[in-house]
Amino acid sequence: MTTDEGIIYDRSLLGVENHIGTFKLTRETILNFAKSTGETDPRYIGDENGEGEIVAPATICNIFVSGVSRPDIKLEFGEISFFAGQAIECKAEIRPDDVLSASTKLDNVYAKTGRSGKMVFAVWETHFKNQNDTTVALVTESFVRRNKSR
Amino acid sequence: MNEKLYFEDVDIGDEIGPVTRTVSDEEVIQFVSIRDEKVTPSRFTSKEFANSEGLDEAIVPGAMNIALMSQVLTNWSETVCLLKIDVVFRGTVPHNKDLVFSGIITDKDETGESTKLECDIVMENSDGVKLVIGTGIIALPNKP
Repeated sequence: MTTDEGIIYDRSLLGVENHIGTFKLTRETILNFAKSTGETDPRYIGDENGEGEIVAPATICNIFVSGVSRPDIKLEFGEISFFAGQAIECKAEIRPDDVLSASTKLDNVYAKTGRSGKMVFAVWETHFKNQNDTTVALVTESFVRRNKSR
Repeated sequence: MNEKLYFEDVDIGDEIGPVTRTVSDEEVIQFVSIRDEKVTPSRFTSKEFANSEGLDEAIVPGAMNIALMSQVLTNWSETVCLLKIDVVFRGTVPHNKDLVFSGIITDKDETGESTKLECDIVMENSDGVKLVIGTGIIALPNKP
């Protein structure tokens, strides 16, 4: 644990890759994802009978990122936390029956002061590769901790 | 959806959308159940649970919001290739209420080295309050 610009957290976690799982992506999963998000693009849902070649929407990796338990960075700041933002870089097409392997690392921890006071951001980067070791997506998520308004 | 858009068809300032839609309780449950076969009450699926966390109503998961934001771009034309999307969650997104999605092209690669375009995208409620804002990078093919 260390202090970095006044932020106390477990700095030994910075940049350390953690394997978070291997996921087989079925055609059914892609179709369910597309249906739940109201997708109408035939690239993702196939023809009117749900047949034909499809690819996964680029954001499908999110279903594997959500709810992943990450190492506790032991951040000594703030009373509440929330999901602040996310970026997804689409590196290659994701197809039915791909087997995706994901690893995540703590990329950065930094403080910012806004109207509601000081906030500390923890940024995690999650890397998805397919069965051919090709990177298909890079997901960056920011989580914020701050004190409750008084 | 536009049939086929090409890089040469698009200029800075071109608008994407607006598209208005709602997200139903059933869609959220279906989305959540892709990962978790047994859906337990959460801030996403239960008004009571959401109330216990200080929220007025059940909300749409962030992971679903970014999927909806990306659709604004990929549904613009069958030729759109989404390269990157980056969003900031500014407010909670409710179920069963109108959500207005729109975008605008903010940059175009004129170097000839790529056919990339950059855009701003936003999701607002029916009062014009921005719930999710972001940027996207897309590519379009050159005109044959």
